[in-house]
Amino acid sequence: MRCEAVREIIEEVGPEEMTGGVREHLLKCADCAAYARDWRLVHSGFQGLREEAVSEATIGFAARLVRRLDEVGAPSPGDAFLEQVGRRFVYVTLLVTFALLLALALPPSGPLRGPTVSELLSTEPEVAVAVNDPVFPYELSTASELAPDSAPGVKDGTQR
Amino acid sequence: MQSPQPSAAQETAWIRRAQAGDREAFGQLVERYQKRVFALVFHLLYRRDEVEDIAQEIFFKVFRTIGSYNHRASFGTWLNRVAVNHCYDYLRRIRASRVSYFGELTDEQRHQLESGTESGGASGFNAERRIVLRDLVAKLLDRAPADDRVVLALKELQDLSVEEIADTLKLKPSTVKVRLHRARKRMLEDLKSLQRGR
Repeated sequence: MRCEAVREIIEEVGPEEMTGGVREHLLKCADCAAYARDWRLVHSGFQGLREEAVSEATIGFAARLVRRLDEVGAPSPGDAFLEQVGRRFVYVTLLVTFALLLALALPPSGPLRGPTVSELLSTEPEVAVAVNDPVFPYELSTASELAPDSAPGVKDGTQR
Repeated sequence: MQSPQPSAAQETAWIRRAQAGDREAFGQLVERYQKRVFALVFHLLYRRDEVEDIAQEIFFKVFRTIGSYNHRASFGTWLNRVAVNHCYDYLRRIRASRVSYFGELTDEQRHQLESGTESGGASGFNAERRIVLRDLVAKLLDRAPADDRVVLALKELQDLSVEEIADTLKLKPSTVKVRLHRARKRMLEDLKSLQRGR
């Protein structure tokens, strides 16, 4: 027999109810024999605790309690619901829902999601330079030429 | 004083009236179950001077939530569940805030334990020795984690069956068996560490 199985039996039955197999194991296994001795001591302590007189309600406990029910209020469906499904589950669900709503409510840009100021300053404007563009058929050497005041027709007042 | 046992139909009627907010009917239920709740609280917490206050809190909670009782399990089992959950919360609360006064064995306990071990732990302990062992187990329970303490108290002190504990804790009977075995094992390990003076 395995030690663990023997110990489970020891916890459930008294020494006089033990089968031959368990007794045999206890004779061979010193650890299980020590476990059985310790468990008997603890079990006896539990018996002592069980025999101890329990606290009883003082006279008029129920009547006093009923008088104080007004402070508690009537049975509420909300409390009953919370009790039924478990407070923690409700709180976790509320927290997750709140986090989701917050995520959805945030604008796509802004202090939390937009680029940082340093990113804005360091980034050059992305310009697509088309060499053979029919609208802008001349060559642009630098991106700065695309600035509004340097565009064709702005400086000289003509517009193509 | 123990009130006469009401019939099942009468109890169901009290429950339905209490669910509708009838305080007198709830009072009848309190009369009927107060002894059970007091014993449960006493065994789970082992604090004689606080039992009545805690039992009162449990009954207040029962009154607030009695609407969730659906008559599937017995009212007693449902009430046990509310009471055990309340005691559980209490244990966790006090565990977080207090210092244990039960750090070591007394000389007498050590002596009784050693002689008990040497003599093979004979079942016929005398009265004095049983008191020492009772106090020792109370000390071990006090040091045990809340989970272990609850399951051990329900089994060893309240004398509930594995199935009844499973109903109360909303667990499978096989899970209760595993938890019980682990809790007992841990308690014996703690006993050994107490013997070693830790």
